[in-house]
Amino acid sequence: MRVRTTPWFAAVLMVGLVATGCGSSGSKAAPTAAAKAPTTTVSKLTGTVTVSAAASLTEAFGKIGADFHAANPGAETTFNFGSSGALELQIEGGAPADTFASADQDTMAKLQVKNLVDAPVVFARNQLVIVTKAGNPQHVQTLADLANVGTISLCGLTVPCGKYAAQILQTAGVTIPESKVTRGVDVKGTLQAVATGDADVAIVYVTDAKSAGTSVAAVTIPAAQNAVATYPIATLKASGDAAVSDAFIAYVMSARGQATLRSFGFLPPS
Amino acid sequence: MPWLVGLLGLLGFALVVLPLIGLLREASWSNLWSDLGTPQAWAAIKLSLVCSLWATALALVLGVPLAWVFARVEFPGRSFVWALTVLPMVLPPVVAGVALLDAFGRRSFVGARLYDWFHVQLTFSTAGVVLAETFVAMPFLVITVEAAFRALDRRYEDAAVTLGASRWTVFRRVILPMAGPGIAAGAVLAWARALGEFGATITFAGNIQGRTQTTPLAVYLLLESRPEVATALSVLLLGVSVTVLALLRRRWLARA
Repeated sequence: MRVRTTPWFAAVLMVGLVATGCGSSGSKAAPTAAAKAPTTTVSKLTGTVTVSAAASLTEAFGKIGADFHAANPGAETTFNFGSSGALELQIEGGAPADTFASADQDTMAKLQVKNLVDAPVVFARNQLVIVTKAGNPQHVQTLADLANVGTISLCGLTVPCGKYAAQILQTAGVTIPESKVTRGVDVKGTLQAVATGDADVAIVYVTDAKSAGTSVAAVTIPAAQNAVATYPIATLKASGDAAVSDAFIAYVMSARGQATLRSFGFLPPS
Repeated sequence: MPWLVGLLGLLGFALVVLPLIGLLREASWSNLWSDLGTPQAWAAIKLSLVCSLWATALALVLGVPLAWVFARVEFPGRSFVWALTVLPMVLPPVVAGVALLDAFGRRSFVGARLYDWFHVQLTFSTAGVVLAETFVAMPFLVITVEAAFRALDRRYEDAAVTLGASRWTVFRRVILPMAGPGIAAGAVLAWARALGEFGATITFAGNIQGRTQTTPLAVYLLLESRPEVATALSVLLLGVSVTVLALLRRRWLARA
């Protein structure tokens, strides 16, 4: 039952996307997929797409990829997780990816400017949170407390989570000397420094803190000081399998895909 | 089919050389010095030099006696101990970093005591970088020096002993000078390996500018924000590696 209804949903949604213009009127890929939909049912979708996705999507996309495959047995996704900035560089360098999901819009915009992607859609949002060692031994309560702990783990300044963290600290008026900051190459590395390493606190996404479970303690950042990470996704112009990529994006946007994202702690796109 | 051998050999050579050519083509030579002089790059270079030289010194002090034991002392389980000693050579560096965390991290069985008793924290410290580099680099020294010790002609030692030299004198005046080139080669190899260390360092010691951010870590981080500086640093590391190999070449040719 599931296997038959979901592709329907995806197909309807995809047509809807194209009709409303969300699926980019200028893109070549989306209309192709939509045009195919009436003749070939989407469940006959075959092919493998490589999805380059922000590291913070590791758990959620792992689940969505498995569900997508279950709904479309002929279609498969392989994932390349990393910092959005590093993935963007790989794509510019001609990496054979079909789909790109970034943790910020700036990084996606770089590919748009170079005309390497179809028009992106925002599929999720995320917020940031302070994580400490399990049990919060240093009683960190606010961003201001970060000035009084030992080593702080932040993402690199070109990694979206690093930009968001810098923005949050600036809003809160907290200055942390670079000599106390260890820079993770992506959000997972940044979290790892606290979860298994000896860093005292990190600023990561809410979703990563949630995935880390009890190995860390989360301290909420007040909405007034927090940043909202916006996640766009798009099919690459160079994709060899744009139909499958578009179908995957449609699946991410579908009620089931969105429910999965919600279950991992992501916020709805708007 | 000599042509096939030649062709495959050529392909093998191309495989190694093409990326290097790519790197050199990307480098902006006119700005190389100013790129290397940017504060972050310069801090990384200085830190890399300090840490890799300390790691080499530690590897020498601890590795040469170890190599001697492996070359000359028979004891039960020697091959097992040897295998454990050189394990870091084949261990994925990130795994080495995790293992170091599990031993020397602040909540680990050694690290917790170091911290409680002496208030020494190795993680996120320059000492931690030296430890990680020594861990991965020492095996290169041990196997090179062990081979050098094994290749020694024992008759010189015997002669020295019959002339009344003590064991220490024999080691200092006969063995060390004869094994000297081998020890130097091992030290240079270990130094080069320490200089290029990435995975164990970032996992165990983190990535703090000026404290634990060595050149390879800086290259990785700068690749996105300042690719030209990352390339300049890469060219520097490449230059160092080529120099090291050139220094070692005569020795390898002599052995073959």
